[in-house]
Amino acid sequence: MKLAYFPGCKIPFYLKDYGISFEAIMRKLDIELIKLPFNCCGYPARSKNFEVSVLSSIRNYALARKYDLDIITPCKCCFGQFKHATYWYDHNKDLKKKIDSLLNREGLFWDGSTQIDHMLSFFYNKFGINEIAKRIQKKLPGKKIAVQYGCHALRPFSITGFDNPYAPKMFEALLDVTGVIPVEWSKSTECCGSPAFDSNPKLSFKILQNKIKTASEAGADYICTACTHCQMQYETEQFKKQSNHHHPTPLLFTQILGAALGINKNKLSEKGDLTPILFE
Amino acid sequence: MINIALNISLIIFTLGVCFQIYRFKKYKNFLHVETSTQGSQKNFQIKAFLLNTLFQTKLFKAGKLRWIFHFSLFTGFLYLIFVHALHDVTSLLFEYYEPTVDPFQFLRNFSGVMVFMGCIAFLYRRVIHYRIKHDKRIKTKGLFSILLILLVIGSGFLLEASKIISEPVFIEMVEEYSDIDEETGLEDLKIYWKEYYNIIFSQQIDITDKSLENGQFLNEEYCLSCHSSIRSAFVSNTFAKMLNPIGSILNSHRLDSKLSIIHYILCLLLLACFPFSRLFHVLLIPFITGQKNITKETSNTSKGIIPSTALFACTNCGYCSRVCSVYPNYQITGNKDVLPHSKIESVKAMIKDVSSENWERLYQGNSECTMCHNCTDICPSGIDLQCLWVALDTKLVQMRHCENIRSVKDIPLNEWAKNENTIESLLSKDEMTSNLADKAEAFEKCVQCTICTNVCPVVEYNSNQNDMTPQQVMNLLRLGKKHLATGTRMVWSCLTCYSCQEHCPQQIRVTDIILELRNSGEKSAGIINKTQTNTEVHI
Repeated sequence: MKLAYFPGCKIPFYLKDYGISFEAIMRKLDIELIKLPFNCCGYPARSKNFEVSVLSSIRNYALARKYDLDIITPCKCCFGQFKHATYWYDHNKDLKKKIDSLLNREGLFWDGSTQIDHMLSFFYNKFGINEIAKRIQKKLPGKKIAVQYGCHALRPFSITGFDNPYAPKMFEALLDVTGVIPVEWSKSTECCGSPAFDSNPKLSFKILQNKIKTASEAGADYICTACTHCQMQYETEQFKKQSNHHHPTPLLFTQILGAALGINKNKLSEKGDLTPILFE
Repeated sequence: MINIALNISLIIFTLGVCFQIYRFKKYKNFLHVETSTQGSQKNFQIKAFLLNTLFQTKLFKAGKLRWIFHFSLFTGFLYLIFVHALHDVTSLLFEYYEPTVDPFQFLRNFSGVMVFMGCIAFLYRRVIHYRIKHDKRIKTKGLFSILLILLVIGSGFLLEASKIISEPVFIEMVEEYSDIDEETGLEDLKIYWKEYYNIIFSQQIDITDKSLENGQFLNEEYCLSCHSSIRSAFVSNTFAKMLNPIGSILNSHRLDSKLSIIHYILCLLLLACFPFSRLFHVLLIPFITGQKNITKETSNTSKGIIPSTALFACTNCGYCSRVCSVYPNYQITGNKDVLPHSKIESVKAMIKDVSSENWERLYQGNSECTMCHNCTDICPSGIDLQCLWVALDTKLVQMRHCENIRSVKDIPLNEWAKNENTIESLLSKDEMTSNLADKAEAFEKCVQCTICTNVCPVVEYNSNQNDMTPQQVMNLLRLGKKHLATGTRMVWSCLTCYSCQEHCPQQIRVTDIILELRNSGEKSAGIINKTQTNTEVHI
């Protein structure tokens, strides 16, 4: 199986581990990732310039269309933005016309045939949990995990079509096969605070603090994320200062799954300094 | 005379290098935004330095074809400098060095061709590269150096050709290195050289087999040890043949000595111009490549440390803009300063003259950068561009130039509301939006049930700093107060988590409306900023 890999803008510099571990598990699952010269998904421009944000996504779609590939991304903000762009591209005829002519100038076109999948929805809906379960090489120790769903993939359901926005189950189901134990966490579907990181740091940190506190109360040892921005938010310096032995620390979904698939820990992060719990 | 010229060029060269170093020192602090970070950049990467200097590995990664031409220019030029130009010194390394002996004669021609090809490829790229072609500031950059190199190479080939055909040079050489005269077969040697070395003699000489044979004997006796077959000078020899019809006139005017002066002067000019032209990248790029790039781990401590030399190591190749993640932003807004190759030029202009740049364009462009690291990864000069953009952003904010979004937040709501009439008259209707905030059917169904407010994390965590709730923003829209709604804190501190929209029992696109208000607020703020700067006295 071949898919176009859309890493998003933050992975190459700010979250290399996510990219490394994502590529490692995809290799293990025999899925070939094709790297195309994608541009930004358009999510950062959404607050500033609607046109730019839609064009950015559609241009990426058109690029993948050129190679007849579907797109997979490990970032939920990118995923949500692609879905939004599809919606507005279909609903604003003037914009559609303008974008088509801009694409045409570069020899690109898009007919709506390219699909975008987030890593989780791809595993759950297309690859199949059973297929993953078959390839699990060792069950991980039953650590308790709180999952951070990520807003932009989950809501609004009418556009993203990701999972039940009120009671999602995809993430937990995927974690179940690895042996870790997902816990009930009331704030699982709430924002991590990342969008306000630059513009309103106080608010951002307040939200983060509350998330850690409630996750800890829910009995979680780790918080598992499947989104670049969520993970970056949990990894912020302030959080590291806050977190001590009593607080749950963030883990990437790709690293948990990678450990269960029997991938060496050196191939799951840049420095190979993953928590030993996963590799006991 | 020539020695004086050489000394003058060397002095200019040295002074030029000193001047450049002084300039870099002067600009050093311009983009240094944090002070207590000395020592974090001291690491020097020797491997990267050597690889990129000798083999231009970064360019190889960026573009293979361009690397082939650049590398051929580089090696050709290096050969010409060390073996040809500095042969007084370097000939000691080779036992039998003579400029007219193979392999040196052949290699000189071959390197000349390599350099020539590199220059032509450069000029060709200039013509076809649309981004460079359409940017006035960089359109002509580097052209001077390339043309000068072409002149040096061209004059060199012509000089060699004129020496090949020259009768006077032949006579001088015969007098100096042999005791042949008219009686001992000078005519025969002339015939042989006319036939095999393409010399053009003024008087007619008849060729006979016997004299050729004798000429060959004399040639082997006196000349062959220093003169390989002229065919190995494949370019100059071709030129020499082309000069054949006018050869005797050129010889009588001693074209060779004139050309040798021209060639020498051009070389000295190249030397003198070295520190002031594109040629200086030969020193800058190795220096920059050796510097360690900022990583995620060091970004907190060394934020904003960018050597000013980095700016000048840019060779305007444009690879960065080819991989720029926010290229679509440029397609829509037409703001060139979104693209790295243009931004770096603006920064350079800004360093030289702070008042010269179009600030708005630069800060708008830089704020759209997503820090994806693509430009830093591809830069053949090894400039840490991402670090530069971070430093630039901080610098611009320090200088009180900031994005429109930031300024919306600084304006109190009652001040903001006063601008309603101005905005409404100036803000043009934009169809390329989600078209919600202006359409009653998008929000009129709101029943003020407060569900959106109850699920909003901003309201929950930030209630004392927030002025309105999502439901109140919707109500403002229902009252026709779009401008006022745009200025509320709620709109700008929204996390866009879509909780409100998902939970709304009336299916109102609350978050999408808020995002649209941000879009129009951005434009309104731009207008307000402009009208204010127009009326205020600029200090």
